[in-house]
Amino acid sequence: MGLDMTALLEVTGLTAGFGSTPVLFEVSLDVQPGELMALIGANGAGKSTLLGALSGLVQIFDGDIRFDGRRLVGLRPERIVASGLAHVPQGRRLFGTMSVERNLLLGGYRRHDSGVRQDLQRILRYFPALADKMARDAGTLSGGEQQMVAIGRGLMARPKLLMIDEPSLGLAPKIVDRVMEIVKEINQDGTAVLLVEQDVTLALEIADRGYVLEDGRVAMSGRAQDLRRDPAVRKAYLGV
Amino acid sequence: MSQFTQQVILGLLLGGIYVAVALGFSLVWGVLNIVNLAHGALIMVGSYITWTLFVNRVIRAPLLFTFLLTFGINLVIVSLLLLLFTADFRSVTTTYSGAGLHLGSVVIPYIRLGGLLVALVLAGILWLILNRTRIGAGILAVGADRDAAQLVGIDLRHLYALTFAIGAAFAGVAGGIISTFQSITPTAGDPYTLQSFAVVILGGLGRVSATIVGGLAFGLIEVLGQSAPGLGSGYANAIAFVVLVLVLIVRPRGLLGRLA
Ligand SMILES: Nc1ncnc2c1ncn2[C@@H]1O[C@H](COP(=O)(O)OP(=O)(O)O)[C@@H](O)[C@H]1O
Ligand SMILES: [Mg+2]
Repeated sequence: MGLDMTALLEVTGLTAGFGSTPVLFEVSLDVQPGELMALIGANGAGKSTLLGALSGLVQIFDGDIRFDGRRLVGLRPERIVASGLAHVPQGRRLFGTMSVERNLLLGGYRRHDSGVRQDLQRILRYFPALADKMARDAGTLSGGEQQMVAIGRGLMARPKLLMIDEPSLGLAPKIVDRVMEIVKEINQDGTAVLLVEQDVTLALEIADRGYVLEDGRVAMSGRAQDLRRDPAVRKAYLGV
Repeated sequence: MSQFTQQVILGLLLGGIYVAVALGFSLVWGVLNIVNLAHGALIMVGSYITWTLFVNRVIRAPLLFTFLLTFGINLVIVSLLLLLFTADFRSVTTTYSGAGLHLGSVVIPYIRLGGLLVALVLAGILWLILNRTRIGAGILAVGADRDAAQLVGIDLRHLYALTFAIGAAFAGVAGGIISTFQSITPTAGDPYTLQSFAVVILGGLGRVSATIVGGLAFGLIEVLGQSAPGLGSGYANAIAFVVLVLVLIVRPRGLLGRLA
């Protein structure tokens, strides 16, 4: 192991959870700049908890998180976002009674630079379907469109690493493919992505590397193409 | 008929007071999830400040904005009030206190009409803050989903303090309105906490228009209830209570409420 000086995100021996009960046990992982990392695992394995711990919402008991040269443990969530780590939560969690545009602008809440308007345009290039829905209440959009707004809101923070929690949840297969394509595109444009997915086939198809979380521990990790062929992964997550 | 018109107008004017009184209360409840039982006390702070300003003859418009900016300091002041002013009765009486607009047999007291207008302006200011500013977006976001709000980079503690300060500021201005027609004592604000609560139940949480509708409706119910044939003023509270219970049963989120 040792200190990886080039990693964008490096998590070491992270134990975290709720109240006094740990959900994650000594989790270690890293994400390199520009990488698309898949985090897979069964329901309840602790994937969302891990993202929550990284963004400062979940209590950390032990271990270290280094991001872009900074230590994140103990930082408040707003400081973590400002440092370039954005989190698109499971279930989208949009501000449903606010307009799509306001939701997106809230994504840039901490920014005071002049690029906010341009970034709004950039997000509409990824998600052209949102262009004529900017004034609609976010809660009135379809599931797929809401997921687009959620990802767009995360991008508005101009993150170096975008963490997306189960974007395919509850979406029709065609829409899922489209969302995954765009996630890949966002990554290819230079933003590192940590993608949590139940749809393991899809996730390992677009990812560079992957981690498998089981009962709060890292059970396996490696190149996505290797994980795809791994018998244990195939049996547990691909149903073959 | 004109008797009825008069009652409706008086009801709406009283409702205007309730709107003013409930704006800050509803904001703090909706966003911080706090039913602020000290709201009435904050209102009386505003009454005392208005009284002091009148006594010193320095009242002028821009002060309204200093109210909005400076009233963030809360409950401690109430005890200070008791020390400073003791519990004697005070009131602000202007030369135009007794005058009114006569339309046929209907009379609209100027001072109450002014109160209604100020209440509507207040509601407009709050609406603008919430719907047209970045901070307002932050306040609404925190009210809707704390975790999601934190994930976009909103500092919860900062927004909580700010929301409470705005709520207190609005309470203060409402106290200013009240001081123009009611005696002021440190505890005179207590009923307004309860009335704010009723307005929120009636109108609903989560949007300014709900407070306007709830406040006006509550004022109407109270005045019409008092003057209903066969019923005396003693029944006003009972009628208001029955209406509240009905609303809770039929429409638990209030007439216009957005948040559960
Ligand atoms: N807010 C919470 N309070 C207590 N326990 C929680 C909370 N959220 C999740 N858990 C528990 O943590 C474990 C992992 O949940 P989660 O991280 O949501 O899993 P995943 O995202 O992999 O499906 C589960 O056992 C779940 O019950
Ligand atoms: Mg999850």
